[in-house]
Amino acid sequence: MKKGNEDFIKKGDPYILLTSMGLVFTLTMVFVLLGIILVNGLGIFWPSDLYEVKLSDNRVLIGEKWATDLKKSQGEADITRSQLKIGNRDIYGFDFAWFQDKEVESIVANPELVLIERYEYGNFYGYIESLHTESNIYDKSSENFVDKILVTLSMVDDLKEEFVDKRKEHTDLLSPLNEIRRGSSLLKMNEEYLSSDEKELLSEYEQQEKDFLESNNHDIVIIENEISDLDKRINEFFITVRTGDGIEKEIHLKDIVRFHQPNIMNVFSKTIHYLAKVWEFVYDGPRESNTEGGVFPAIFGTVMMVILMSILVVPFGVLTALYLNEYAKQGPIIRMIRLSVNNLAGVPSIVYGIFGLGFFVYMIGGSIDSLFFADKLPEPTLGTGGILWASVTLALLTLPVVVVATEEGILAVPKANKEGALALGATKWQMIKDIVLPNAMPGILTGLILAISRGAGEVAPLMITGVVKLAPAMPFDMEFPFLHLDRKFMHLGFHIYDVGFQSPNVEAAMPMVYSTALLLIVIVVLLNIFSIYLRNQLKKKYKTSSF
Amino acid sequence: MSDKMVVDIGKALTSEKINSINEEKIIIATENLNFYYVADKPALIDVNIAIPEKKVTAFIGPSGCGKSTLLRCFNRMNDLIPDIKVHGKILIDGDDIHSNNIRLEDLRKKVGMVFQRSNPFPMSIYENVAFGPKVNGENSKSELDAVVESSLVQADLWREVKDRLNDSALDLSGGQQQRLCIARALANKPDIILMDEPASALDPISTGKIEETIEELRGNYTVVIVTHNMQQAARVSDYTAFMMVGELVEFNDTRSLFTNPNKKLTEEYITGRFG
Repeated sequence: MKKGNEDFIKKGDPYILLTSMGLVFTLTMVFVLLGIILVNGLGIFWPSDLYEVKLSDNRVLIGEKWATDLKKSQGEADITRSQLKIGNRDIYGFDFAWFQDKEVESIVANPELVLIERYEYGNFYGYIESLHTESNIYDKSSENFVDKILVTLSMVDDLKEEFVDKRKEHTDLLSPLNEIRRGSSLLKMNEEYLSSDEKELLSEYEQQEKDFLESNNHDIVIIENEISDLDKRINEFFITVRTGDGIEKEIHLKDIVRFHQPNIMNVFSKTIHYLAKVWEFVYDGPRESNTEGGVFPAIFGTVMMVILMSILVVPFGVLTALYLNEYAKQGPIIRMIRLSVNNLAGVPSIVYGIFGLGFFVYMIGGSIDSLFFADKLPEPTLGTGGILWASVTLALLTLPVVVVATEEGILAVPKANKEGALALGATKWQMIKDIVLPNAMPGILTGLILAISRGAGEVAPLMITGVVKLAPAMPFDMEFPFLHLDRKFMHLGFHIYDVGFQSPNVEAAMPMVYSTALLLIVIVVLLNIFSIYLRNQLKKKYKTSSF
Repeated sequence: MSDKMVVDIGKALTSEKINSINEEKIIIATENLNFYYVADKPALIDVNIAIPEKKVTAFIGPSGCGKSTLLRCFNRMNDLIPDIKVHGKILIDGDDIHSNNIRLEDLRKKVGMVFQRSNPFPMSIYENVAFGPKVNGENSKSELDAVVESSLVQADLWREVKDRLNDSALDLSGGQQQRLCIARALANKPDIILMDEPASALDPISTGKIEETIEELRGNYTVVIVTHNMQQAARVSDYTAFMMVGELVEFNDTRSLFTNPNKKLTEEYITGRFG
C-alpha cells in the first residue's frame, strides 16, 4: 500500500491534478466574470412588465420589479421585501421604492400602464390621459389614441430639427459680430491704459459693430421671430399623465424620447424595442448625466485614442528596439538600458498620468501655447488636457511592452539571413529594412496587441490628461481641420467609473455600468482580433526557414 | 598507409592538365595575414597565399584549422564579429580590401558568398535572386528579369523553378535552396565566389548537383571552396590548400597535392592518419 502511494507521488499524478485545478479555477473566474457582465449588460434593454402595486397604507406604486431581499429577524417571522423602480423623479424625488410583501393588497399588470422615457427626470411610469395639439385635444378613449401620440411625436421631432437648423442659421449670421466683439472686449478690459492707436481701433470696432447690426438688422429680426414662433409651436404639444396615486401632470412632447406599454407588447415588438435601445446605446450620446442614452462619444473617444496611441508607440518602440539590437554595442550600458525599459512596464499608471500632466500638458503644451496660440491666452489651447496628450501619455506607458516584444521579434530573425543579405552587398540599413523588419513584424504586432490591451483599459492616467465626463464635441468631425487633437474626449473606462460611482443616481445607473463594461470588453477584443488576424497573415508570409 | 584512400582520390582527380601556380594570374593574395578572434590567440598565423583567377581553389584541413576564417576574410564577413583583429594585407585585384578607398558593399558585391547552410530569404524565388542587384541599385524590371533568369540558368536551377518564380523560396528542397543561394550570389555578377562547405548539409545526390554547378562556373568565376570532404576537393578543384592550426601548410595544384605532397603533414592528413 505504501509502495503504491510512493508510485502515485513519483509519477506526478497529484501535480497533474493540481495544475488542472489551477486551470479550472482560472477558467471559472473568467466565465463568471463574463457571465455576470453579459447577463446584466444585455438584459437591461429588454422591456420588463410594469406593475401597479396597492399597499395597505393606501399608497399605490407603479413600476418595474427590481430586486427582492429577505431579512431574517430573531423571534419574529422573516420579512421579505421587494424593490420597485417607480421613476417619476420630478414627483417623488427618488427612483426606487421598497415595500414589505405583507403590506401588499394587490399587484396588477394593467395593460394600459405606460413607460415614458424623457430627456429630463428619467422615466415616467403611469397612465396617459389625453393628448393636446395645436388645434385639438384627444381623450384617451378616442380612437387610435396611441397611434395619434406616435404621429404627433414624430411631428414634434421634425419641428425640433427645424428649430435647431434655424438656431444654427442665426449663429452663422451673427458669427462676424462675435469676432468684432471679441476684439473690442479685449480692449475694453484695459480701457484706462489704452494708447491712442488702440483707442482708435476700439472706436473702429464699435463702428463696425454698429454698421453690421444696421445692415443685417432685417435678417436678424426675421430669423429671431421664426425661432420664437417655432419654440411657441413646439410647446403647444403635450400630453397629460396620471401617476398611480392620482397625481396629474403635463409632459411636453419635446421632452419625450419614446414611450411604450410593455404589458401589451408581444415578443416581436419587444425585440424591436430591444434592438432600438441597443442601437441608441451604441450610437447616441448620453443623457441625464450619463445614466441614460448612449455612449457613442465614449466609444469614439476610446477607439480614437487607442489608434492615436498605436500610431505613436509603434514607430517609437520599433526604432528603440532596432537601435538596442542592431546598432548599439552590446555591453553593460545597453544591459542597464534594457533592464530599465523592462522595468518601466511596472510603474503604476497614475505615475505616468502625473508625468503626462506635468510634462506634456503643462510644459510642452504650455510652451506651444505661448509660442503659437498666444492670442488666445489666458485660455489654453494645447496647454490643457486633450486627446493628444492622453494618447502620448498612454504611448509612453505602453512603450516598454512594444520594445520588449519587438526585441523578441528581432532576435528571432535567423542570423544566417542577416549575413546572407550583408554578403550580397546590402548596407546595414538595407539589411534591416528588407530582412529584419519584415521578419520581426509578427513580434512587432504582438507588441501592438499587448499595447492595445493595456492602453484601452487604462483609466487613471487619462483622468488627468484629457478625459471628461461629458465632452461638448468629438475629437473628429466635419469642421476644419477635422482632427481636433486639442479637444477633451470621453472614454468608456472612465464612463464606467463616472456612471457607476460619481453619478447622482447610482442605483438607476447600475445597468449602464454593466453594458458599458461589456462594450469596453467587446471593443478591446475586436481590436485584438484585428491585430491577431494581421499578425497571422504576416506569419504566413514570413514563416521562418525550415531546412 | 591506406592505399585504398590514395587510389580513391586519384580516381576523383580531374584529368585536365593544370598549369603550375606560378604561371596563373593571381586574383586574391594575402601577405602575412594574422587574424585574432581573441587577443593573443591567433586563428590565422602568417598566411601567405595567392589564389589564381578563374580557377577553383579548395581549402582543406581538420576542423578548427582556420579555413573558414580565411575564407570569410576575403569578403570581410568577419567584421560582424566584435573585437576581432586583422594584421597583414589582403589584396584583391591588387587592392588592399582594408583600405579606406574600398566600400565594404562594393567588395561584397564583387566577392559573393555561399554559406554552409542554405539561407534563402523568406521571399519568393524571384525576389531572392533579385535581392543583390536591387540593393546595389538595379531597378529596371527587364534588367532584373534577365539577371534572374541567367543566374538561375548558371546555377542549374532554372529548369526546375521557371514556372514558379513567385512561390516562396522556403518551399524548395534543401539542395534546390543551396543552388538558389548560388544563383543569388551570381546575380551580383561577382568576380569571386566563396563557398563555405556548401554541400556539407546535403544528401549525395544534391551534393552531386552542387558539384556540377561548380563545374559550370569553372573558367568564368574564381571559386574558393572550403570542404571537409577530400574526394570533393579532388573532384572539383584545380588547386588545393591544406591548412593546420591556423597555418597554411601546403598549396599546390590539386593533382600534385594529392598524389605527391611535399609535406609530411599533408600526406598524413590525406591518407587519413588523423583529422
